[in-house]
Amino acid sequence: MPIIVNLDVMMAKRKMSLNELSGRVDLTLSNLSILKTGKAKAIRFSTLEAICKALDCQPGDLLEYVDDSKNSKN
Amino acid sequence: MTKLDKFAITLLYVIAWLIFVGLSIEAGGLIVNFFFSVFKPQVVERLYQKLDLSVMYAQSKAVFFGVYSFIIFIAVLKAVLFYRVIQLVHHLNLNKPFSRLVSRKVLQISYYTFSIGIISLIARQFVKNVSHHGYTIDILGEFWVDSQAFILMATVIYIIAVIFKRGIEMQEENELTV
Repeated sequence: MPIIVNLDVMMAKRKMSLNELSGRVDLTLSNLSILKTGKAKAIRFSTLEAICKALDCQPGDLLEYVDDSKNSKN
Repeated sequence: MTKLDKFAITLLYVIAWLIFVGLSIEAGGLIVNFFFSVFKPQVVERLYQKLDLSVMYAQSKAVFFGVYSFIIFIAVLKAVLFYRVIQLVHHLNLNKPFSRLVSRKVLQISYYTFSIGIISLIARQFVKNVSHHGYTIDILGEFWVDSQAFILMATVIYIIAVIFKRGIEMQEENELTV
């Protein structure tokens, strides 16, 4: 999928563990893991808002668009 | 899931088994008939359905083998179709019905049903054509009398299968939404 979730990068920058983030955003560890590993198909605005608040970042810091076709050509 | 639903599923399971056994016996009987028709035609009178096509065999072997192939193929396909129905009912979990396996089984059932319908239709047309050459076909009508019904049923099942597949995709998307 061309949308990449950089949750692990932001968590590393903020030095926050998955357990701690799970407690702060009120999401289960399995759901956070789905998001972190890029298996998620969609994310609710409420979840994004909670993660941005907990990690003190912008949605753009968490989500990145990478064009698959350009990548495959290079 | 209500008690009535559970009862209905169990009843369908038992009925599907009974029909499958019946169709398997029919298919087996027809296969046995076929071999006896070729190798020992005099005992066909005492066999299943008394399907005696020895006159046809004497007239033309090609037509005989063609007609018998249709009969056996349709009978076996009907038995396999009901085996798929048994598998579907066996794997069906009404608490969580939208699974890939159930979707695949419903789709397979639609393919088998369509195959039976279309082969029955071709067989009927084939037998109608050869009847112009003086072959007796009166006893064969019952083998492909319901071809249109099978095609109609296949269409309905296929539509249900496609809706089911879409339902599974939506469920998976919902499960992967955080």
